[in-house]
Formats: sequence, C-alpha cells, structure tokens
Amino acid sequence: MRNAWFGVSVAIGVLALSMTTFEAQAPAAGAQPAARGGREGAAGDQGGARAGRAGRGGRGAAPAGPSKPTPRWPDGRVNLSQVPGVKGFWNVMTGSPIAPGGLSTNLTLDQIPFQDWARALYEYRRTRGGLDDPHARCQPAGGMRVFTVPNGLEIIDQPELNRIFIIGGENRDWRRIAMEPGRKHPSEDDLIPSYFGDSIGHWEGDTLVVDTVGYNEKFWFIRGGLPHTRFMHLTERFTRINFDTLRYEVTIDDKGAYTRPWSGGWDIPWQYTNYDGTPGGEIHEYFCIDNERDAVEFAGK
Amino acid sequence: MNRVIYRIQSEGRKTVMLVRTGRLLVLIAWIAAPASLAAQEGHPVVGSWHGDRGNGPKARTDITVIMDWDGTQITGVVNPGFENMKLQSAKLTPKDWSVHFEVESKDASGKVTRCLIDGKIDRLGSDQRTLSGTWVCGAVKQDFKLTRDRDYSR
Repeated sequence: MRNAWFGVSVAIGVLALSMTTFEAQAPAAGAQPAARGGREGAAGDQGGARAGRAGRGGRGAAPAGPSKPTPRWPDGRVNLSQVPGVKGFWNVMTGSPIAPGGLSTNLTLDQIPFQDWARALYEYRRTRGGLDDPHARCQPAGGMRVFTVPNGLEIIDQPELNRIFIIGGENRDWRRIAMEPGRKHPSEDDLIPSYFGDSIGHWEGDTLVVDTVGYNEKFWFIRGGLPHTRFMHLTERFTRINFDTLRYEVTIDDKGAYTRPWSGGWDIPWQYTNYDGTPGGEIHEYFCIDNERDAVEFAGK
Repeated sequence: MNRVIYRIQSEGRKTVMLVRTGRLLVLIAWIAAPASLAAQEGHPVVGSWHGDRGNGPKARTDITVIMDWDGTQITGVVNPGFENMKLQSAKLTPKDWSVHFEVESKDASGKVTRCLIDGKIDRLGSDQRTLSGTWVCGAVKQDFKLTRDRDYSR
C-alpha cells in the first residue's frame, strides 16, 4: 500500500513539476539570446534599434560600405528575397512597434491607446518577466511576432500562382499571403482563428501591403505581452529600402484591446551567412520543443 | 516456509504491479502536462467557466458561466440552456481584477430574484484562471468559485 501511494505521489510530483516548469521557462525580460538561437534576443519593447543596427556590422552582416540598391526582378518588381549569386535571408531576432527602438515614428508606451484592461494586463505581464509567455512554451510566434524571432526567414514570391510565402526557420513556421486580385477575407463565421490569420496582399509601388484578420488568442503578438483579441486586424507594409534592409511597418487595429488603430515598425537586416555565422546564407531548422532547455534552466525562477 | 515463499512471491508481484501502475501514472501525467500549453491570452473573462456556489462544502450547486467581450462590454449567460440567465451590468475592474455581474433568477413559483455576483480573478496568467467571490440572490448570500475551461478553438 505504501508503494501504491509512492507511485501516485511520484506521478503527481512529475505532473506538478511539468506544469510548473512549463509555466516558468520564459527568460526574464532583457535576457540575452541563447547561443543556440532559440528565442528572441531582447525585450520586445526595446529591441528594435538593435535589429536596425544588426544589418550593418553584426554577425553575418553586409560588407562594409553603403548597401547595394534594392534588387528587382526582370519585370521591375522589387525582389524581397535572395538574388542569383547572393545567398542570405532576413535575420529578424528583435523588433518592437513601441519606441524607443524601431522606427522613429513608433509610439512610446504611454502613447499606446490601450483599453484599460489591456494596459493593466500588459503591466501585469511585465511584472511577471515573461513567465506566462506562450512562446516560451513553444507556442508559435503569431501575428507580427514572426518578424522578431531568430533563425531567419525568407519571402518567396510566386507571382504566377498569385501568392507569397513567408517561411521561417523557427519551428519551420510559414505564412501564405494571397495575392489574387479581388480576393476577400472569408466571412467572420467562416474564418478559423489561427496564429497567422488570413492574409491578403497587394503592391503599392515598391511596397508589399498585407492585410490580415482571423487571429486566435493563444499567443502574444510581440514579446512583452501586448494583449490582443480575436478582433485584431494587422496591416503590414514591407519595403526593401536597399539590398540589406527590409523595413517592416505595421498598423494594429483591435477594437477589443485598443481604443484606436496605432502603428510601429522596425528594420530587418539581411544576413549573408548561416545563422551561426558560417558560410552559406541559408535559414536552418529549429524546433523549439526539440531544444527546450529553459524548462530546467528557469524552473522556479 | 511455503507461506514465506508465497508471501515473497506475492509481494514481488504486488511490487511489479505497483511499479507498472506508477509508470503508467507517470506516463499519463507526462502526456497530460502539455495540455496546459493551450492558452487564452485575450480579454481575461472570455471563455467558459465551471464551478459551484453554496454555503459550506456540502450544500453546493454547480454553475456554468460563459462570458465574451465584444470590445465594449462583457456579455454572456449563466447556465446555458432552457433556464439560462443573461448577464447584466457585467464589468471587469482591471485595477484589482474584480468582476461584477448580475442575473435575474426565477424560483419554482416563477418569482424573479435579482442576484449580484462579485468576484476576483486569480492566476491571471493561466488559461485556467479562477474567479471566486460572493453570489447574493435576495437575502441569500453564498460563496462561489469558478475555473476557466481550457479552450482550444479561440
């Protein structure tokens, strides 16, 4: 009988430990990037400036000197990805729509038009140091957050199929952007809430504009925990301002969490090497769950 | 001697059984743990909440509350079904994460009683957060505790 209780106790203990560690594995805000490249490197609300600098002189960054001009396809459209003979990928890692950091037009925290509950929840999450962050428990980096996580991403343009894919090394996440002329979002009843939503894109000059709705509420759309609801509607603008820099601008319209739409953005640098700095220039596979160590490292912290 | 051998064998079988049972429970616990990963990170009251109300541990009545947020107000029902009660004057106060709502309850004679429910959210960062407080219908005052269900669809 004593053994039976021991067995049950062990099971309960393991369950408790599992749940505790799953809830407690987020690194504290401001933690440095893990060498294995598993998580965003800096607190989401302060990392944008670092992202902007990384493209000119960081690991795998562009050669010294001014950037080459924005590459184009033979038909004149902007090429948002690799060009023949020059490998590489967009190395995100940091970025936030909140100043300081990011673009000079970003709002400061006190300017973000939070609803009362959303501001209070954001402040609560900040006091927790990211412990409740679903991404720290290997949930996908939904919404704009896919442009802040490490392991690189590529933008695959398939004009003949009226679609653009954004593929990332992080968990091999991918987004499909529908480019069919006249395409509409499904009705609210038909939309299945998801981490990356339903995206429709079009070109405005040299800028790719992407309109996305249909998000679920299972993720934080930026590190730090800005709240959102199922009403979130993102309008993203991608502009390759030169060969080495992709300017990402986003407008957040969420009547469930904010009193009015607001905008922010950051620059994403081109990386010429593999993620670890070795020659190659290819994004690599990284699955959070395979490399999960924070469950141990951050247990109880 | 035989009795001793039998006892040792019996104990051995029992030990093997217990070890197997223990392993099974550990496996179940391990499999169940990742279920906690599903979360709801939007407005804190949104979702289905289950629990009970009453006075003391024995006299409890099960209750289900479903709440939603349309961007300006909290809507929902208590005990969805034929005898559901629509939430009225529902409000979340983020300062202390307190929740207030009212419902109109009918007794067997059809008499309507207004119920005032005041609670506080605990474990805010968990998808299985709780809401507990007082449930007052007329002169009857009870305590209640609700736990938010996990939700995989939102």
